Amino acid sequence: MPTKVYDAIVVGSGITGGWAAKELSEKGLETLVLEAGRPIDPDTDYVEHVPVWEKRFRGLGDRKRFNDDQPIQQTCSGVDEWNCKFFVNDRENPYTTDPDKPFLWIRGRHVGGRSIMWGRQSYRWSDLDFEANLREGIAIDWPIRYQDIAPWYDYVEDFIGVTGQAEGLPQLPDGKFLPPMELTCAELAVKDAIAKSFPGDRMMTIGRAAVLTKRHRGRAACHYCGPCSRGCITRSYFSSLNSTLPAAQATGKVTIRPHSVVHSVIFDSNTRKAAGVRVIDGQTREALEFRGHILFLCASALESARILLNSSTTEFPNGLANSSGELGHNLMDHCMGGGATGLIPGHEDNIALGHRPNGIYVPRFRNVKQKHSGLLRGYGFQGGGSRQNWERGAWMTGFGADFKRMLSRPGPWMFTFYGFGECLPNRENYIELDKEKADAWGIPALKIHCSWRENERALLHDMTVTASEMLSAAGAKQVEPFLEDNAPGLTIHEMGTARMGRDPKNSVLNAHNQAHDVKNLFVTDGACMTSSACVNPSLTYMALTARACDFAVDQMKRGEL
Amino acid sequence: MQRREALRLLAATAALPILSRDAFSLFREVHQQLAEAPALKTLNPHQNATVTAISELIVPQTDTPGAKAVRVNEFIDLILTEWYEGDEKARFLAGLDDVDLRSRDVFGKDFIGCSEKQQVQILSSLDEELAGIRQPMDLHREGRFAPTEKQFFYMMKRLTLVGYYTSQAGFEQELHEQIIPSSHAGCVPVEEEAAK
Repeated sequence: MPTKVYDAIVVGSGITGGWAAKELSEKGLETLVLEAGRPIDPDTDYVEHVPVWEKRFRGLGDRKRFNDDQPIQQTCSGVDEWNCKFFVNDRENPYTTDPDKPFLWIRGRHVGGRSIMWGRQSYRWSDLDFEANLREGIAIDWPIRYQDIAPWYDYVEDFIGVTGQAEGLPQLPDGKFLPPMELTCAELAVKDAIAKSFPGDRMMTIGRAAVLTKRHRGRAACHYCGPCSRGCITRSYFSSLNSTLPAAQATGKVTIRPHSVVHSVIFDSNTRKAAGVRVIDGQTREALEFRGHILFLCASALESARILLNSSTTEFPNGLANSSGELGHNLMDHCMGGGATGLIPGHEDNIALGHRPNGIYVPRFRNVKQKHSGLLRGYGFQGGGSRQNWERGAWMTGFGADFKRMLSRPGPWMFTFYGFGECLPNRENYIELDKEKADAWGIPALKIHCSWRENERALLHDMTVTASEMLSAAGAKQVEPFLEDNAPGLTIHEMGTARMGRDPKNSVLNAHNQAHDVKNLFVTDGACMTSSACVNPSLTYMALTARACDFAVDQMKRGEL
Repeated sequence: MQRREALRLLAATAALPILSRDAFSLFREVHQQLAEAPALKTLNPHQNATVTAISELIVPQTDTPGAKAVRVNEFIDLILTEWYEGDEKARFLAGLDDVDLRSRDVFGKDFIGCSEKQQVQILSSLDEELAGIRQPMDLHREGRFAPTEKQFFYMMKRLTLVGYYTSQAGFEQELHEQIIPSSHAGCVPVEEEAAK
């Protein structure tokens, strides 16, 4: 029996894989989605409403099992006793680093990928970001500008639903927003203080998040239960499982195959095109092959690059589509963890109700209107202000009936600014295959070489200064700057390992996420990024994916692929 | 550490007073639970009695259940058995012994043999010693359990609070929390909250 040839194969089912599946199938392509991990059944796997008293360790997590199975995953603050099943087993998924240069690779392998646990913050890039490399002579220029991606931001936002407040800022373009979420009393006070003390320079707005504040395209509005990263039975935040994959499946043209660990791409030397992929069945360990006319890699920045590095041929001895030698290089992640906390006095008769799955945002202000002498690019602040709860009691003096009565009431308003900074592309931050180590499916593990450089360190330090300034301007008490020492990777915004560019000599992908060397091969996850900006990247990955699908199908129709 | 706090803040706690069951049915449930108490794995009967007594002094029964009624002692036994590292467990158990040493020294009997007034005096001295080494930054610390805190009374107080406020009675009866809030708002008067 001849091997079935799909119109398209999509590797990965997360943020970008879901979009590729939806777009390609809606355009009529018979599409196979290969997902390395297990299927997820929302009815049984989503656990956002499971009460804390039903968890054995009351939310503290099974510490010994974490230490044994998830020593790396548990470093992510989003991993908890409920949702740890959505993060990989580190023993099955090894990687190596240089001894003195840790990298924390936080992963989900299941249908839906990390879109189930993601932070949902959704911001547009601007030309301040797309032009930065060219302006400063760093790395290479982006082959696209804001006008190329703007209609695709519109398209994606309209489908997923993004709550936010339009502000008219050139460095943070407005989107098609659902109604904004409300600021708390402390946030309103800090917002006013920033506006008074830093006019025309700094400002604060409510976070822009892929959470529905009203019913949207058949999905229910958020009910403010809080822990989105454990799932959402009302499908009120965007994940591929909640949104794009159901749309893809509604076409009747999509096959999602879980437990399909992609080993490598099959390259046809005669056509110089990708013919399909080699797969290890995750359960049986059987070696399989799947054939398709076009191939979309949407497996995450590191996994997609790993697949290509593991697909060497005589034509491409250093990895498929790597004539430039840039595959695996220019790895970036946002530098996070400079900021400050403080207590906001007053507002004691007021409170916030519900568990808002969103925070505040202070858009980038460094190097926006005027050049800063000590650092390149900039950062944004997330965080927020809320009243402390009973947990403050462990650090307070007292016990007994009065203490109990006090702890059942809301405590002081505490405010946190937490910075996320742009990471410069650097060729020396790179990944390669580790010839000594393989994962549980026999696929070579990655060796990751990555560290923060001078500019990231300068941004982190500057965050502590400006966050403290803003809290002081708001009259905060006990203002405490902090500067965390977070290894790269922990922000979970890894990107850059198969960058876009105009010139095949110094980039892997062209302006449409198409490999320069293999024209029916597309990479649309974080690997494609030529620089990192300072905003959360997922919305941009989605827009680039939808745009690349449109281009690919158009090219197919023209007989170009 | 700070990011955990920041993330916790994003999901800020708001107390929402809706009593999902009446006090009588809660009392009956607690009573039944006590009758079915499983065997403890680490604490011996004397240690268990001491832990139970201290936890109830920290969070006593008032118009709502206290630490004893929600069996905080069993939660602490679980942490000692399955969560703490060996040195943490040893430090906690040594701290329990020290409580008896102190009470024998001052009152001539074990802690559980003391009057409530005497027990409060012992705990007050432990609490004051803890206050003496506490740093101003501690109030800003992460919400999750901080395993590096080495003082017995910190461990005891922290475990009591976690065990109590994450119990069903602590969550529903004391904090008036709901899994799915009845409403949401950014900044409203506390009275509005209390009226719900």
